Amino acid sequence: MSAFDLSEDQQDCLQELINVAMGQASDQLARYLNTFVYLKVPSIEQVKSDQLFDSGHQNLEAIAVVSQGFFGYEGIRGEALLMYQPQDSHRLADLLGYEDDEMSFDEQIIDLSSILTTTFLNVFASQIDNQMSYSAPRLISANQGMVSEHLTQQAFNWDLALKVRISYQVTDYSFNCDMVLLIPEEAIINIKTVIDRILEDF
Amino acid sequence: MSTNVLICDDSNLARKQVLRSLPESLSSDAQLATNGEEALAILRNQNIDVLFLDLTMPVIDGLGVLQAMQDESIELPVFVISADIQPEMQSRVLNLGAKAFLRKPVQLETLNENLKLHGIL
Repeated sequence: MSAFDLSEDQQDCLQELINVAMGQASDQLARYLNTFVYLKVPSIEQVKSDQLFDSGHQNLEAIAVVSQGFFGYEGIRGEALLMYQPQDSHRLADLLGYEDDEMSFDEQIIDLSSILTTTFLNVFASQIDNQMSYSAPRLISANQGMVSEHLTQQAFNWDLALKVRISYQVTDYSFNCDMVLLIPEEAIINIKTVIDRILEDF
Repeated sequence: MSTNVLICDDSNLARKQVLRSLPESLSSDAQLATNGEEALAILRNQNIDVLFLDLTMPVIDGLGVLQAMQDESIELPVFVISADIQPEMQSRVLNLGAKAFLRKPVQLETLNENLKLHGIL
């Protein structure tokens, strides 16, 4: 049994905490893009480190990943990855609509990812009476080898990750991205403890 | 005379949060639905006085419930409780006849203020 095996109630509680966090992240996205975002129920799954790239990303050579570390109280910490599929990266470039002499696409996608990640994690943290700080977001070169190398350089070991599948559809465009939270085992145990505290209240 | 309440949310925790925020006169016999389809089945067959409705749900979402209620002339006060807090979404649910939009996680004081404002309490 892994540290991340959740009971039905724990899974429901985590899902609701994530729904609320996603709602506010989507609101920020809508404001950033000046459009309306259709929000779907996010799916949550745990993945092993060696399975991270197995599903959902057929063209791994062109995947775009923005990585950002987060640190909270009670040993809750990890690395958030926003993973975009290549066709969606191009849609985003159109959607963001900057002129050539403004920010580069790399800067734009880092900005967008940071908004989503920090809003999501700030709201998630506030619901569990925690508070996050962040490292600077980094766009990892668009190939799996670079991403894998980046992950092995993390300051903690992780065997399991929480993968939140986020689907955004805006008025004229749609794109999907996966938010993957790499969380070391001791932090997962701490999150479960917090979830149990919430459930005890009911 | 008792008030018949229906709470529709796909999250067990969220349903409990609403139940806990309601005065006992409303919560004691409240019915629960886990998606819009279940809620509509109850609304079509029973006398419900107040509906607390989530938006982002499987099968039929909250907007679908509000639209069906409008199409079928099912009239009762609806309080939308959602994490999808975009201003445009709030406008949409109010245009579809909801009495109020409350953001998740629902707060006891806010819920009760709105219930009083709309004459439920």
